[in-house]
Amino acid sequence: MAFGDYPAEYNPKVHGPYDPARFYGKADVPFGQVKLGEIGAWLGRRNKTPNAVAGAVSRAWWRWQHKYVFPKRAGIAPFFQLTVASMTFFYLINYTKLKHHRNYKYH
Amino acid sequence: MFSRAALLTAQRPLTVAATRSAAAAAAPGGAIERRQRPEHPGKVRLGFLPEEWFQFFYNKTGVTGPYTFGVGLITYLCSKEIYVMEHEYYSGLSLGIMAIIAVKKLGPVIAKWADGEIDKIESEWKEGREAELKVLSDAIEAEKKEQWRADGALLLMEAKKENIALQLEAAFRERAMNVYSEVKRRLDYQVECRHVERRLSQKHMVNWITTNVLASISPQQEKETLNKCIADLSALALRVKSA
Repeated sequence: MAFGDYPAEYNPKVHGPYDPARFYGKADVPFGQVKLGEIGAWLGRRNKTPNAVAGAVSRAWWRWQHKYVFPKRAGIAPFFQLTVASMTFFYLINYTKLKHHRNYKYH
Repeated sequence: MFSRAALLTAQRPLTVAATRSAAAAAAPGGAIERRQRPEHPGKVRLGFLPEEWFQFFYNKTGVTGPYTFGVGLITYLCSKEIYVMEHEYYSGLSLGIMAIIAVKKLGPVIAKWADGEIDKIESEWKEGREAELKVLSDAIEAEKKEQWRADGALLLMEAKKENIALQLEAAFRERAMNVYSEVKRRLDYQVECRHVERRLSQKHMVNWITTNVLASISPQQEKETLNKCIADLSALALRVKSA
């Protein structure tokens, strides 16, 4: 699978038009239904190659867009969500620097 | 509510899907699930938190659970100064307050305007599509009418053929009549010829016989005949006198 190709499991004759938000591989148990004891095994079954991770992020992005951005009467929520997410992200990556601005010595 | 620019990106996959739908339609499986564009986005609370998050808490903690969790988490982060309230915090706070006021004040107005715009765009597209459908159905109707007219032309052709057949029949009969009358004329001529011939020959023969008979009568015979006639007349006269 090179850059710009469809996933290997995608078959236009079976799946129809390509949906970038859809996972075409074999479905595992959803994360929400995994028992605590099985989390290790569940994580062990995940494909952790860079390609797969990028694909997962891409699908998540598309699903989020389909849910909040693409609907006909979409609201302002996706903008706020993006703002909050980016605020959190930048806070985390700058945390080592922001730490020095603490006002109290003891907590 | 602020911008519908995202709609343009939304339409791109739709067109891609449309171009590829021909290949998909030929699928042997038949039913292919297509993603439908929803009318409304996913529900959120407090402007950005998904409804599903609250539903996840609802089963375990009830209605106030997620809020309590949020407040507790913020309290913990602030108390331990994991979240540091440096100068950016206050600028962020003021920006947040301004954003909330802007959304509360302008949100409904802009939402109404944007909804009107999207409805207008959709109705325009729908109108165009329906106009196209109407044009096509009209064309089909016109085509059917033309075919009906072509059937009429066939009928006309039949009539013309019949007409020509009649004309041919008339010409044939006229010629047959012609032949008949010509033949009759010739035959009549022949008959007339025979009649004339026979009349002439008869006349000739009568003349010949008369001449010959007259020539065969001698003066002696004539005299005897005259005497006999006179005798007959006197005998007749006697009979009349006696009567």
